[in-house]
Amino acid sequence: MADLASRITEPEASAAPSQDMGDVEASQTDGAGTIGGGSGLQEVNYDVEVSLNELQRDSSNPLGSAHTFEELGLPSEVLQGLMAMQFQKPSKVQEKALPLMLANPPQNMIAQSQSGTGKTAAFVTTVLSRVDFSQPAQPQALILAPSRELARQIQGVVQTIGQFCSSLVVAAAVPGAVARDTRIEASVVCGTPGTVMDLIRRRQFDVSQLKVLVIDEADNMLDQQGLGDQCARVKQMLPPTVQILLFSATFPDGVVKYAEKFAPNSNHIKLKVQELTVRGISQMFMDCPDESQKYSILCQLYGLMQIGSSIIFVKTRESANEIMKRMVADGHKVTALHGAFEGSERDLLIDEFRSGRTKVLITTNVLARGIDVSSVSMVINYDVPMKGPGDREPDPETYLHRIGRTGRFGRVGVSITFIYDKKSFDFLQQIAEKYEIDLIRLVPDDWDTTEKEVQRVIKSSRAQAGFNPSAK
Amino acid sequence: MAGSSPAGRRWTHSRSSPVRSPPARSPDSTYLSGDRNGEMNHLEALMAAQVLHSEVRERAVKSLDDYLHEQEQKKLAKREQELKELRQREEDRLRHETKLRDEEERLRALQAQTVPKLPPKPPQQAAPPTEPTPESTTVAPNKDDTAPATQPAAAKPINTSNPFSSGPVANGLSASASQPEQVKTNGHTSAAASFSATPSPFAKQATPQPANPFATVTAPKPAPQAQAQAPAQPAKPPATPDADRYVQIHKNLKKLRALITEHAKTNPQLKKLMGEMRREIRKSLGQLTGVKGANKKQLESIKSILMSAISNQPPSPPIDPSSFVVDAREPVEGALHNEPQLPALFIYLMNQLGKAIINQFINECGASPRSADPVGVVTAQLFSAKEFLWRGKSLIDILMAKFRVVCPVVFGYRGSDKTEQGRARLGWRKDGGAWISEQQHNDRMMGLGIGYASIALRDFSKSSNINPWPPSRYWKSMANIVNTPPAEMTDTQCIVLKSMLNQHEEKFINFYGSAAVAALRRALVEWPNSAPKKTPGVMGLQVLAVMCKRDMGLDLGL
Repeated sequence: MADLASRITEPEASAAPSQDMGDVEASQTDGAGTIGGGSGLQEVNYDVEVSLNELQRDSSNPLGSAHTFEELGLPSEVLQGLMAMQFQKPSKVQEKALPLMLANPPQNMIAQSQSGTGKTAAFVTTVLSRVDFSQPAQPQALILAPSRELARQIQGVVQTIGQFCSSLVVAAAVPGAVARDTRIEASVVCGTPGTVMDLIRRRQFDVSQLKVLVIDEADNMLDQQGLGDQCARVKQMLPPTVQILLFSATFPDGVVKYAEKFAPNSNHIKLKVQELTVRGISQMFMDCPDESQKYSILCQLYGLMQIGSSIIFVKTRESANEIMKRMVADGHKVTALHGAFEGSERDLLIDEFRSGRTKVLITTNVLARGIDVSSVSMVINYDVPMKGPGDREPDPETYLHRIGRTGRFGRVGVSITFIYDKKSFDFLQQIAEKYEIDLIRLVPDDWDTTEKEVQRVIKSSRAQAGFNPSAK
Repeated sequence: MAGSSPAGRRWTHSRSSPVRSPPARSPDSTYLSGDRNGEMNHLEALMAAQVLHSEVRERAVKSLDDYLHEQEQKKLAKREQELKELRQREEDRLRHETKLRDEEERLRALQAQTVPKLPPKPPQQAAPPTEPTPESTTVAPNKDDTAPATQPAAAKPINTSNPFSSGPVANGLSASASQPEQVKTNGHTSAAASFSATPSPFAKQATPQPANPFATVTAPKPAPQAQAQAPAQPAKPPATPDADRYVQIHKNLKKLRALITEHAKTNPQLKKLMGEMRREIRKSLGQLTGVKGANKKQLESIKSILMSAISNQPPSPPIDPSSFVVDAREPVEGALHNEPQLPALFIYLMNQLGKAIINQFINECGASPRSADPVGVVTAQLFSAKEFLWRGKSLIDILMAKFRVVCPVVFGYRGSDKTEQGRARLGWRKDGGAWISEQQHNDRMMGLGIGYASIALRDFSKSSNINPWPPSRYWKSMANIVNTPPAEMTDTQCIVLKSMLNQHEEKFINFYGSAAVAALRRALVEWPNSAPKKTPGVMGLQVLAVMCKRDMGLDLGL
C-alpha cells in the first residue's frame, strides 16, 4: 500500500474545511504565496489557522485542530503506521476532523471533503485508536462502503496504517468472502451493507461490542433506496452507544437531512459546492471532428505528457472492449472492467490495475466513486457523463467523482473529456458552468501545438494548486 | 672389563667366545705356546678378524643409515621450515593487503564524507540560474573553504568520521565482502576509479578538516592512508567541477533544445519527425510495467528511434557531445562512435529520454514506488547500450544533469527548507513564482529517491555492457546525506534517503555485504537518533528500521 504514502499530508491548497470563504482564501495565499515573494531567512508558515465554525465551537472541544499527528495522542503503533507511509502532517480535513472524532465521549460526525484529501485515513486512524487490541477476535469497528472494491480498498488502508498493531485482524464482509457457518473473528470489519446485514442476522457477526460505525461515500449509501435501507437496518442492530461517522465528497441537501437523522447530534465539516472541483487537476476537453476519430486521438494523448496510470470512462461495455483491443495493439497494458464481471473476477481485475501490472483501466461507471489508485495521472471521459432516460441531461456529480480519480493528494492530474457533437458539447458546457470550471479546449490538428498547450495547462494548474483557492 | 676399551673388549670377546676358543688354553699360554704360528691359531685369528670386520661393517652401515636418515629428517624439516616461512610470508601479505583495503575503505568513506561539506556554500552560487559561466564552479571551492571555518570544526569531523569508518572497520568481513563485488559487477571497478576521482576535489578543498580528526580517531595505520590518498590527488583537476558541471550541462541542453527547435522551423520534415519521436519515447516510457518481459516492445521502440537519430535520420546539424558529458573524452579503440560530433537530434532525444525518465519518477513513483524498477531497468539498458555510447562511454551525464537539478541532495547538496536559498538548494520547485506545496515537494522527492536507487543499484554482472551508474554512486549519495551534521538535516534529505533505501535494502546488502548493514545502521538508527527534532522525515527513517527488523529480520540495533 505504498501508494498511500503521503496521502494524508494535504497541500494547503486543498479543502480547507471551513465555511468561511475568506479563511480559505487567506490560507491559500499564506501557505504558498508569501514565501514566493519573500527573501532571505523567511520562516515558512504552512499551518494556517482556520477559525472554528459555530458547530465546532459549540461542541466546546478542547482539542481544537491538530497540526501534527503527535498532538493527537494516537497510540504509538498507529503513529508509526502513519510515519511508515511517510505521512508528514494532517491534511486540512484531518486537522479538523480528527480531534473531534477522537474526543471522549465519542461524538458523531458528518464530514464532507473533496476527493483525495485524506478522508479514508482520517476515519481509519479514528477506528484504530478506538479498537482494543487485546480482543483481536471481537468485532469493535464496522466500516461500510457501497461496493466490494471500495470495501476491500479500505480494508487495505486499515491494514497498512495498522501494520504495527500486532494483533490487528481486519475482515472483509463482502459477497462471497465469509463462509456460511463461520463467525467473523476480527476487530475491524469492512463490508458492503447487504452482506453485513445478512451476517448480523445469521449471528455470524457479533455486534454487541461495536464502538464505531463508519459509512464511506455516505451520500451515495444513504441516497439509494436499497443501500439506504440496508444501512438503516444495520444501524438498528448495533448498540445505541456506537459512534457514527459519515464521510463523502458530496452531500446533496436532501441527503444531509437524512444524514443528520442517521447520525444525531453530530459535528459537521462541510465544503461549499463551488470549492468542490478538484484543484491541481488540469481539466481540458478534446474537440473531436467526429466520433469515429475519437480512438486515434485517444492514443495520441499518451505522447503529450508523462502518464503514470490512467482511467478511461466509457458508456458501454462494447466500446470498453473495443478500445481495449486497440490500445493493447498500441503497446498499452490494459484492464477493462465493467458490469459483465462479477465478484472475485472484479477483484482480480482491479488488483491487476492497482498493482501496476496494467496501467490503463477502461471502465463504465462502476468505478467512478472512491477507488483510490494514487498513481492515476490522467482521467479520460471518452463519453460525457449523462443521466436520465435517453441520456437527456448531463451528470455533473459523476463528472466530479470521475475526475476525482486523478490528482489525488495534491498530485498533478489531468482530465480530458471528449466531445464530438452539439449535444456532448452543450452538456459539458453545463457541467463546467455548474462548477465554474474553465475548461481548456484542445484540437487534434497539430500535435506539436497541442502538446505545448497541454504542458502549459499542467504547469499553470499546478501553480494554481499552490495558491488559488478555487479551480478556475 | 667390559667397559675398559673397545679393543680390549673386542679381544676378550672373541677370546672368550666358547665356540672358537679351545677350553683348555689361557691367553698366556696361547701367546707363549709354540704353536702360536700354527694353522689353528691363524684360522682362529682370521675368524676373529672376520667377525670384527663384519661387526665394523655392520656398524658402519648402520651409522651410514643413521646419517642418511638424519639427512632426510633434516631435509624434511628444512622443507617444512621453508613452507612455514612461505605461508608466513603469504599470510603477512594478506594481512597487509586487508589492512590496505581497510585503509582504502576508510579513505573512501572519508572522501565520501568530505563531500557534504561542499553544499553549504557553492549551491548558493550555483543554484540561481543566473550564473551561466563555469567561473562559478571555480568560485565555489573558495567559498567552501570559508564555510567549514564558520562552523564548529570539531563537531563536524567527529561526526563524519564515525559512521562509515565504524562500519567497514568493525569487521574485516565487510572489506572482503565488498571486494568481490567489484569484480562481479561490471563497471563496478570502473566505478571505483571514478569514485576515487570524484571525491578527490573535495579532498583538496576540505582535506585539512576531516583528515586530521580521522587520523586521531581511527588511524591505526596512517601510512597506507597517505599512500592511498596520494594517487587520488592527481585525478582531481578534471573532477573538480563535477557537480556544477552538471548544472552547466543542464544549461547546454537547454541551449541545444532552443537551437534544434529553431532549426526545425525551417525544416518541416525534421519538425514533424522530431515531435513524433519525442512523443513516442514519452509514450513508451509511460507504458512500462513491472511484469517480466512485458517491456520488450517499449524498449525496442525507444531503441529504434535513437538508432535512427544517431544515424542521422532525419538529418540534423552535427554537434560536439563533449558539452554534455562531465569528462574529456578521446577516441577509443573499438567504440562505435568516435567521431567528434554526433547528430544534434540524437542528443536532443537522449535529453528528452532523460526528461521522460525524471518525469516518470516524479509523476508516478512517489505514488507507486514499485513502478520505478522497470524504468530503472530500461534506463540502464539504454544508457549502457554500445550503440549509444560516445567514445566508449555512456551519455548518462545528460540524465544526471537533470537529476542534479531536480534532486540535488543525492549529489550532496543541502540547505534549510525555511529559507529561499535553502529551498533552491534542495531542489524545491517553484511554479508560477510560488514554491510548490510541501506535499508536492515531498512527493517528488520520494519518486526521485526511489528512481535514483532503481538506476544506481543495477546488477551488470551478467551483462557485457558497462554499468553507466554503478552502485558506488549509490553509496556515495547515501554517504553525502548521512554525513550531514544533525543540525543541518532536513526532511527533504530524510525523505530522499528513505525512499532510496526502502525496498532496496536487499539489493544494497547484496552489493556491499556487512558494510551495507553498517551503512543502514548509520542511516536508519544513528543519524535519525542524532536529529535535534523528531520531524516526520526523521521518524520515517526510524520506522523503516523497525520495518527492516520486522520484514527482513535485519536488526540494526535500535
